[in-house]
Amino acid sequence: MSQDNEPVVQTSGLTKRYGDFTALDSLSIHVNRGEILGFIGPNGAGKTTAIKILVGLSKPTSGSARIAGVDCSQGARKIKKLVGYMPDRFGSYDNMRVREYLDFFGAAYGIPLAERQQRIREVMEISNTAYMQDKFVESLSHGMQQRVGIARTLLHNPEVLIFDEPANGLDPKARIEMRDLLLDLAARGKTLIVTSHILPELARICNTIAIVTHGKLRAFGKLDDVMRQLCPRRSYEVQLVELKDVAAAEKLLVDVLQADEVVSASQTERVLRFPTSRTEQELSGVLSRLVSAGIQVAQFREVAGDLEDAFLSVAGVGGDKASAQKSAPVAAAS
Amino acid sequence: MNSLLLWKNPILRRELLDRLRSLRAFASILAVAIGAALLVILRWPSESTLDIVSQGAMQVFRPLAFGLAVAVMMLVPAFPATAIVRERRRGTLALLLNSPLRPTDIYFGKLLSNVFLAFVLISVSLPSLGACYAMGGLSLQSHMLPLLTILVCMALQYSAVSLWISVQAGSSDSSLRWSYAAVLILAFLSLAPSSIYGNLPGWQSAIAQKLTAISPMPALQEITGSQSATTEFATSGGWKSYVIGATITTLLFAIATIVKLDPLLLDRPRPTGKIVKNKNTVGGWARRMVYLIDPEKQKVGIPLFINPVMVKEFRTRKFGRLHWLLRLIATCGVISLFLTVITATGTVSWGVDRIAATLVLMQIALLIVLGPSLASGLIAGEVESGGWQLLRMTSMSTLRIVNGKLMSVAWTMLLILLATVPGYAVMMWIQPATIGQVQRVLISLGIATMMIVLVSACISAFCRSAAVATATSYGVLLAMFAGTFLVWLARGKPFGPIFVERVLSLNPTAAALAEIRVPGFESLNLTPISWWIGLCVSALCLLLLSIRTWHLARPD
Repeated sequence: MSQDNEPVVQTSGLTKRYGDFTALDSLSIHVNRGEILGFIGPNGAGKTTAIKILVGLSKPTSGSARIAGVDCSQGARKIKKLVGYMPDRFGSYDNMRVREYLDFFGAAYGIPLAERQQRIREVMEISNTAYMQDKFVESLSHGMQQRVGIARTLLHNPEVLIFDEPANGLDPKARIEMRDLLLDLAARGKTLIVTSHILPELARICNTIAIVTHGKLRAFGKLDDVMRQLCPRRSYEVQLVELKDVAAAEKLLVDVLQADEVVSASQTERVLRFPTSRTEQELSGVLSRLVSAGIQVAQFREVAGDLEDAFLSVAGVGGDKASAQKSAPVAAAS
Repeated sequence: MNSLLLWKNPILRRELLDRLRSLRAFASILAVAIGAALLVILRWPSESTLDIVSQGAMQVFRPLAFGLAVAVMMLVPAFPATAIVRERRRGTLALLLNSPLRPTDIYFGKLLSNVFLAFVLISVSLPSLGACYAMGGLSLQSHMLPLLTILVCMALQYSAVSLWISVQAGSSDSSLRWSYAAVLILAFLSLAPSSIYGNLPGWQSAIAQKLTAISPMPALQEITGSQSATTEFATSGGWKSYVIGATITTLLFAIATIVKLDPLLLDRPRPTGKIVKNKNTVGGWARRMVYLIDPEKQKVGIPLFINPVMVKEFRTRKFGRLHWLLRLIATCGVISLFLTVITATGTVSWGVDRIAATLVLMQIALLIVLGPSLASGLIAGEVESGGWQLLRMTSMSTLRIVNGKLMSVAWTMLLILLATVPGYAVMMWIQPATIGQVQRVLISLGIATMMIVLVSACISAFCRSAAVATATSYGVLLAMFAGTFLVWLARGKPFGPIFVERVLSLNPTAAALAEIRVPGFESLNLTPISWWIGLCVSALCLLLLSIRTWHLARPD
């Protein structure tokens, strides 16, 4: 078992090739206990390949993956006990009620009957599925099925939980419930790896993110560090009081700023926006110029960058191959 | 009228192209063409004389006719059985019903495309039929045209029935198994009342005679002159009765299906499930009596000493759930006792051998209908639903998973085998000399059961969809069991007794019939060689199944 200060999940140079095609190229990441890693990438980026190696369903061509000190390709039996995996497909059975479904998987994990009944009650409480225990699994909505899927992954009380697209196809309410559930699991000391296309959702729950495109790790580290690494130019917004000042303010900003600090104006919002790498002092000078020109400024503020911007900066707009290949992989931050 | 025109009905055009381009259809057509050609080549006369009494030609024509009929039975239901249910599950039926296409356009598009494929299938045998005709002694009016008419009627009848089942079914594999069961009922079980009441006066006999008109068997017997070779079921109206019977059933099923092809078809609530907890009430007592194993009762947890996969299989399969199986087995038990008792009391003039033959045939039909439907989804169904990946993630070994799955089918099949034991017991009580025979019959049927389960499970492990596995299993098993009986039909010429015996030794059900001395099988000595072959085939399938599942469970 791993010590608390050691990473629970660690991959080193993890590579998977199918013939000439490289699905995963030298992936090196680590996740500490109680952390939530957001695994981001477009379709076919290699996320599911990496997850399958971690849960022992696939063998790497080279490199290694360890969970709680156990090698994922050598110790498959131990890994099954350490990891709870929820694939992107639910895997339901006809004519099976939620309680029977959980009982079956509990028995499949070899949990003794009395202990299993207790455990089923606990996981149903955690995942808020107790009220649907007598319903047929196939009759549940997608959101309910995802909850049952989470209950199933918790049955054998694993250290690490891996969820492949848990929020896919969920409505906003179910998505919020899912987010709260994942945060609750992390608070209980579980280590989570979550893949998702819904980046704002991930940004709200993850401590660490890894961005993968075309099998290569493009960015990895704490969310704030990655944002700073990938979005060094901050975005500033100037909110004006008077609509008539918009044109004058735009002209003044274009004169003051450099050519690459492109100013965009929105007449309806009375707002001007520009990206910049300037320091706070330099920016205060810009504000002074605006005020001294008689322009009434209501707000002059930095707009927080989001995960989507960070992702697009490494994946390229639209995630096209050419632009993505230009961006060099980012070294893993601690 | 536009529904029937290829260039006006987009469904017909699409379905036809889809089917003609499929590898499965091409392989089926090729297999029929090769089989028919081989039969003629084997029997082509070397002498330069014309056979005016038609003996040689008839001996080729007979297995060819029955072979084509079996091919139609095996191949025709496969496409229409999945045609509508698959569209519904994929969501494309909603698009079709929402388009300007009428239900008749959709229905005839699917029906005629399948019938056209059957035409192609039948037409590849025309050169072989032509060669039979050239041998002499066969006429166009009495043999060739009636055979082609019967085959076309069969194609229409089975397509219509399968489409009707497809519109009702919840999944492709359940639709397939019900379609094949319906074909077996229409072709063979419809003859059972005539077999029991045929010689008795009264209304039962009249109804039994009318029922024979929906089966092509009497018509085929009539045109091939093979009444002596099998049981006599010839109807008074000859092959034309079947044409009328098939047309009526086709029309009835077509109307029933077109009426169902309505947007309301998609308006089905999801079964939410309910738990019945009225244990101590009269209703609760009545439920326990009716169900024995109540599907709406809260289940207890699975004890650790029982294989959870086996319990899961019993609980989750739609077809063959325990409460239904128990009813089926109880029905079998009652029928077997009824048959034995009516013989013992002299109600019908059947001998013990005929009763035993009926019991054996009933068991064979049940084994062939139930076996593949239970076993063919074992692995393919898991792979298709994503359950296999979850099972791989549990602590269970592949051996335990496969063992649980096989045992769930084996117990069911054993119950089916035991269902007729009361009938055999009464038979042995009437005629104690048959004890040894019954033992050998039960061994043969046990081996047949093992073969059916393991062949289907083996096929299931190599397929990615339960529907494909089910269709393939039925095809392979019908070829193994019904195909070998075709060779038996052509015994004498072109196939000699040694060849017939060798081919039949591949089929343990033939060994059961030979042991019970069914007419036509008395002279055959098929045990123990057929047992050894059955065991070897089963062992081979088990080995392939183990290798394949081990491969599927390995990390990619």
